Amino acid sequence: METLALLMQGFAVAGTPENLMIALIGCFLGTIVGLLPGLGPINGVAILLPIAFAMKLPPESALILLCAVYAGCEYGGRISAILINVPGDAGAVMTTMDGYPMAKQGLAGPALSMSAMASFTGALVATVGIVAFAPLLAEWAIAFGPAEYFVLMVLALSCLGGLVGDSLPKAMTACLIGLLLSTVGIDSNSGVYRYTFDMLHLQDGIPFIVIVIGLFAVSELMLMLQNAHTVSEPISITGRLMFNMKELMLAKWTMLRSAFSGFFIGVLPGAGATIASAMCYAMERRMAGKDHQFGKGDIRGVAAPEAANNASANGSLVPMLTLGVPGSGTTAVMIGALTLYNITPGPTLFQDQPVIVWGLIASLFIANVMLLLMNIPLIRVFVKFLSIPNWLLVPGVAAISLVGVYAVHGTTFDLILGTLIGGFGYLLRTMNFPIAPFILGFVLGDMMEQNLRRALSISDGEIAVLFASPISIGLWITAAAMLIGPRLMKALENRRHRAVSAPA
Amino acid sequence: MREIDMSERIFGGVLLLVSIAGIWIGWDLQPPFSYEPVGPRAFPLLVLFLLGVCAVTLMMEKHSDTTWAPGPVLVRIGVLFLIVLAYALLFDKLGFIIATALMTIPVARFFGGSWRQSVVGGIGMAVGMFFFFDRLLDVALPTGQWLNQILG
Repeated sequence: METLALLMQGFAVAGTPENLMIALIGCFLGTIVGLLPGLGPINGVAILLPIAFAMKLPPESALILLCAVYAGCEYGGRISAILINVPGDAGAVMTTMDGYPMAKQGLAGPALSMSAMASFTGALVATVGIVAFAPLLAEWAIAFGPAEYFVLMVLALSCLGGLVGDSLPKAMTACLIGLLLSTVGIDSNSGVYRYTFDMLHLQDGIPFIVIVIGLFAVSELMLMLQNAHTVSEPISITGRLMFNMKELMLAKWTMLRSAFSGFFIGVLPGAGATIASAMCYAMERRMAGKDHQFGKGDIRGVAAPEAANNASANGSLVPMLTLGVPGSGTTAVMIGALTLYNITPGPTLFQDQPVIVWGLIASLFIANVMLLLMNIPLIRVFVKFLSIPNWLLVPGVAAISLVGVYAVHGTTFDLILGTLIGGFGYLLRTMNFPIAPFILGFVLGDMMEQNLRRALSISDGEIAVLFASPISIGLWITAAAMLIGPRLMKALENRRHRAVSAPA
Repeated sequence: MREIDMSERIFGGVLLLVSIAGIWIGWDLQPPFSYEPVGPRAFPLLVLFLLGVCAVTLMMEKHSDTTWAPGPVLVRIGVLFLIVLAYALLFDKLGFIIATALMTIPVARFFGGSWRQSVVGGIGMAVGMFFFFDRLLDVALPTGQWLNQILG
């Protein structure tokens, strides 16, 4: 009951005219960023964060904006997946499998409306999931001491390192570079300058926004030039716009199953929308029996991945809000947003900042209703944005990114640093280093170090404190399993394949 | 036969040097007096040590999954990077409008815009964004030193 009262308070925050307007703008922009191939949620959130900060939005409004953008992206990605066979964001890869064939058969309308419905279902289930689980998790985690906290962050980094990318050394390298960059600047405990090289601008550390814009805007533009492909004409929407009752009946269990699994996959750190949608698609395909049309335009083939990726996007807010430990690149950027506002993320967030937390959760409900309304009747408006030419889009993104960086500190130094980091990011990404561990390492670096030092201060330097409580031992074991497990499974599977194919 | 790509090894080598240099510099990061058992240098040194280990692993990796863009594209990407860098350098000095227009024109050309589209788009975007951000959203943008001098 207490939860319900808090949620009502949240609706009061999210329901103010300004915040409703902000959510609406966020949904709109998010859908557009999502549908543009090349730009995904992390780029959208990264580019808008500094602008929100520069506009002096209060923290709850800024987070509402970012979350609306995040939610909108997951809706938008499907539009280009269905109409031009190019996923607008990584989570929509699986939507191309059946969405594009449907569009070619003249069923673009039902494919789009059903996937919007699935997105809505996924998001709604996940938001209810947040309301149900997040307060419990936060309450449990509040007992964490600095030692447990440190290990928890090790766990978050290993989850991401273990699941993202193919090469463990590469994921770890990316993460360590992020951690290393987080140590630049004055050490708050002792006042020692670390790795500032006598540069005045580095005394307060490398600004978070500079890293984010470098990695997710500047390097993205360079990749867009590299992957410049001729965008095919979108298939035009002809015939009926809405799915019919028969299609809804066929897809309803698919949607619900995928929404639930997507939510739980999203809560796990590391596994994001991409993994969730791929897993749910495969699961539904296997469950569909003999006479399915998966791969050739089955309506369940668009419902499953869309329900899953929206559910997992919302689910990934759970560890971010309750533990202060983001499980994905996008939520890492949001954690960074909180720290910009001097709000310490962590289990105490639910107690200290109920306005922000519950306002955010309530605004997710509101945003998803807005998105459903935008994405079914107004779908034709968004389709128009598919034809934004790159020659306008790319310089536009470059300009907006630099505006954001400049607005925060107003120095040329930040702009140049951001561009250089962007160039470095391009090299890393070309060599297939995953970028999410980099940003996660940078965001968590300071908290990790502080908790480590606090834990060791309490124990007077005794390292054993990190392995003292059952919680931390459990977390260490899970961390090791997450780091090695996925690769071990893959290696075993390869071996089995070889064993099967060898005797032939 | 494809040439074996050395990118990872070279990068690993550079990273190893960085971590050694970092440890070298970081060794002296000691406060004059300390109240806590773990000082400011422990964490960076730990990270740098692990980074060094990763760098060695990268250098020993046998296969490479890096595919660089073909030469001409790579050159264009390099030039794009330099344009953005120049934009960053001139952002404050020339002011938002001029710097943005100057940046947009070549970038738009890279992405297949015609001369006409690039020039009109660049100027239009620069002016439009300036009013949108600076006037409408209250996000202060530089007008440029040249304009400030004229306006006094």
